[in-house]
Order: sequence, then C-alpha cells, then structure tokens
Amino acid sequence: MLKLSNVEVKYAGVILVLRGVSLEIRGGKIVALLGSNGAGKTTTLKSISGLLHTELGEVTAGTIEYDGQRIDKLGPEEVAKKGIIQVMEGRQVLEHLTVEENLRLGGYIRKKKSLKQDLDMVYGYFPKLTRLRNSTSGYLSGGEQQMLAMGRAMMAHPKIMLLDEPSMGLAPLVVEEIYAIIERFNAEEATGILVVEQNARAALAVSEFAYVMENGRVVLDGSSAKLAENEDIKEFYLGLSKFGEKRSYRDVKHYKRRKRWL
Amino acid sequence: MEFLGKIVIAGLMNGSIYGLVAIGFVLVYKSSSVLNFSQGYMLLLGAYIFWFFKASLKLDLLPSLLLALPSGFLMGIAIERITLRPLIGQPLISMITVTIFLSLVLEGLVSLIWGTYPLEQITVFGRGSGTVGSIVLTTENVCAFGVAFGAMVVLILFFRYTNLGLAMRGVAEGHQIVQSMGIGVRRIFSISWGIAGVAATIGGILMGTTLGFQLGLSHIGLLAIPAAFIGGLESPEGAILGGLLIGLIESVVSGYLGNAAGVPATFVVLILVMLIRPYGFFGLERIERV
Repeated sequence: MLKLSNVEVKYAGVILVLRGVSLEIRGGKIVALLGSNGAGKTTTLKSISGLLHTELGEVTAGTIEYDGQRIDKLGPEEVAKKGIIQVMEGRQVLEHLTVEENLRLGGYIRKKKSLKQDLDMVYGYFPKLTRLRNSTSGYLSGGEQQMLAMGRAMMAHPKIMLLDEPSMGLAPLVVEEIYAIIERFNAEEATGILVVEQNARAALAVSEFAYVMENGRVVLDGSSAKLAENEDIKEFYLGLSKFGEKRSYRDVKHYKRRKRWL
Repeated sequence: MEFLGKIVIAGLMNGSIYGLVAIGFVLVYKSSSVLNFSQGYMLLLGAYIFWFFKASLKLDLLPSLLLALPSGFLMGIAIERITLRPLIGQPLISMITVTIFLSLVLEGLVSLIWGTYPLEQITVFGRGSGTVGSIVLTTENVCAFGVAFGAMVVLILFFRYTNLGLAMRGVAEGHQIVQSMGIGVRRIFSISWGIAGVAATIGGILMGTTLGFQLGLSHIGLLAIPAAFIGGLESPEGAILGGLLIGLIESVVSGYLGNAAGVPATFVVLILVMLIRPYGFFGLERIERV
C-alpha cells in the first residue's frame, strides 16, 4: 500500500506547491487524481516517484510510505527499484532509440526473467507496437508514443504505476483504447495504478476511488461512482449541467455558482 | 603510385587511432552532452602510465597492459568524480571550460612527474616488417591498426547489444526518462568516462609505440575532435569513419604539400563538413514531427 500523509512540497525552498496532500492506493486498485492545471497533480506523482529531487523540489513535511517504509527521501532510481514506476506526462519516449530498444530499457531493472516473454506481454497489450518494433520511436504518432511509454513501464513489472495524463492531446478513440488497456493491465497483472487526469470522465469510468485536487490540496475524495454523481464535479469537470436545456451567456454567471468545497 | 599507397596506408593506420580516441570523446558527449576537450591529455597521461609500468617497473607487455587499462578506466572516473560531478545541473559552458583547463593541469602533472623530454623508446609489439607489393609495413604499425580497429568494433557491439550500452544511449536522450525507469544516471556517467579513459589509454599506447612517448602525443586528442564532429557527435561508427578520413587527409596532404599543411588541412575539411552537414555524417538530427 502506498500512503501519502500531509505531504508538503516546496520548489527551490520557497514555492509552496503541495499544502498537505494525503492519499492512499491499496494494492491492485485504480485510483484517479483529478484537478485543473496547476493544482499539483503532477507534483504529487513526482514526489512519490522521487523525480522531484531532480528538479529542485523537496518534500518539506509529511511522509510518503510504501509498505510501511518511507520513500520520500529516496532518489528516483531507488523508488523505481521498489516497483513504483512513473509514466511521465507528454509521451516521453527516447526518441532516437527504436521501439524495442525503448522497451528493453524499461525492463532494465526487472528481475531476470525472459526478455522475450516480457516483450511479448507488452506486444500483447499493444499489438500496434509489434509492427513498429524496429522503427525510431521519435517518429511514431502521439497515440503510439503514449502506448510505448506505458509499455516501457509495464516491462518493469511495477507494483504501482503512476500514470500522468495518458489522454493528453489524443483523439477520443485513442483515449478510449488506452483506457481499455489500462483496465485490462490492472485486472491481469494486479498492478495498482494512480492515474492523473484532466479528462475526468475517462478516469472516473475506470477507477474505483478518486481524489480531486485544487491549489495543492485534496478538496474532495470518494468512490468514483459517487464522485461522478456529485453536482460540483459534474459542472466543473464533466461540463454537465441542467442537461438538455438551451443556455444563454446571460445565465451563466460563473460568480454565482461557487464550488461548495471552497 | 608507390608513394601514394604508402601515405594512404600510414594515414589509415593513424586514422584508426584517431577514430578510437574520438569514440571516447563521442561516448562522453553522448551520455552527458559535455565536449571533453581534455581527451587528448587523458591519452597522454594514459600513455605515460603504461610507460611507467612497462619501462620503469620493467614488467612484461601483458601485465603492463592489464595494469594500464584499468588505470585508464580509473583515470576517467576520477576526472569525472572530482571535476565534473559537482557541476551536474550547472550550465554546460562551465563544464566545457573545466575540461579545457583540465587539459593544462593534466599536461602539467605529466611534465611534473616525467619531465618534458621524450621518454626512452620502448618496443611493444616487437620489431619486424613485411612488404605488401612495394609498400613496407612494420609489425608495430600493423598491430596498432589491428588493436585500434578491434577496440572500435568491440565498443560498437557493446552499444548495440548490451543492456549497459543501451542504457548509455538512453541517458544521452533524456535523464529524467531513464531515471524514472530505475537507471542510475550518475553511474552511467562514471562508466562512460571510464571507457573514454580506456579508449584514450589504448590510443596513447599505440601512438607512443610508433611516435615515441612524448608530450606531443596530446595533439592526437586535438585531431580526435574533428574526427568526432565530422562523423557526427553521437555516433561511434561515425567517429571511426571520421578518424580514418582525418588520418587520410592529414597523411596525404602532408605527403604532397609538406608536414606543416597536414593538420590545418584536417580542420579545413572539418569546417567544410560543418557547413554542409551541421550534424556530421552520422549525427542524430533533431526529431521534429509535423
């Protein structure tokens, strides 16, 4: 189980980004972390994976524990070796390497098992990549790169996968495809997944539990089914309100509708 | 014709050594984006360390090599650890400045310990010669060529097929990405510098046996730089071809126009190549998708 308690993160010692974030991921579950730009979602992921240390960030208060051990002081390599792998935002592939080389590197830290077997597993989830195995990954399409980035993380057989905005900049059909694979991977490999999203609809559909962040705090949490019914979530994240009615700009009056949690 | 054949062969032999040294240069650049201008002086120090084992301690060839190569590895690691690691995350220009002035420090160190005069000549591969057609080849030249070429092939296979080599290529692409996969970037830096040290040491020994152990050996490092640029800074294969080309040009031009013209000619070629292909022949172009 991964547990964040009151985590506070500062960049460069002065910029307070997270103001006491607490959340939990139990083994094998999908948990969603929603919020608008600048809410601190990515910073939360980086504080878990240790990548924070590579960019002048620091956990200044609170603890991050994984299976009872504190991991907030560990560097990204050690955290990855414990089985927590982050898939970074924006389809980060090693551009000049081929698809298969990317995947082989993803399996760099795995316990010695057959490389071929692991590659086959990834190609099983992403059949598209099979055909592209010898292509330079920098020239793949956006969706293919996102698949490659996820497949690369799968190669390490993570116990917990941190997914940062897998839907960013992708066509709705591709988003659907990717979320279907996330669900299947979670079910078949029993990997816990913490998925950060702007696309609340997609994330709430696959997750069991969700947290909503704003201004560096968790402002709302609950089972995904319950959150999907919440009026505020509907209006601010799902873009739904008074379904089916025609709306004029005169009626919108944003200032009248306050988010109830603030 | 005979003259041309002779200088072409001499050029290729020197070129293979330039190529080897250039691989060390490329390796460091690939993993850490640092242009290591002290590569030539690492070569000098490596050569002198070998000379120390072989001539001062009077060891046989094999034990001297077995001691000199790991020393070269340690030399690379030490340089990285002492001077460059503290600069990780600082602007690249400061790292490059460090390597430039590190050259002078290394040269000073060598002349402090061994003096500024050329050292006593030692035979490494035995003396002997044979002829191919009308061209005379000495055993030393042939061995130097063989060793340099063998080392290059080993390094290329290493990058292509081993996990560590692959990890080095990955580090060259983006530090955060490989860190997120659990690969220790610092360890990879150390190993790259270590291998660069070994490549420099091998190059130094080969050059030393043919040209004599003297401070001028460091100029080879200067020629490894155009070799690396012409081949493309990210490509070990390119470094070799660049090295052979530089060796050839140097040798042919000095053969026909006199010694003084050889080295400047290589730089003229470098400038021309840069104008036509800024990434060198095999360098990685920036991938931009539209």
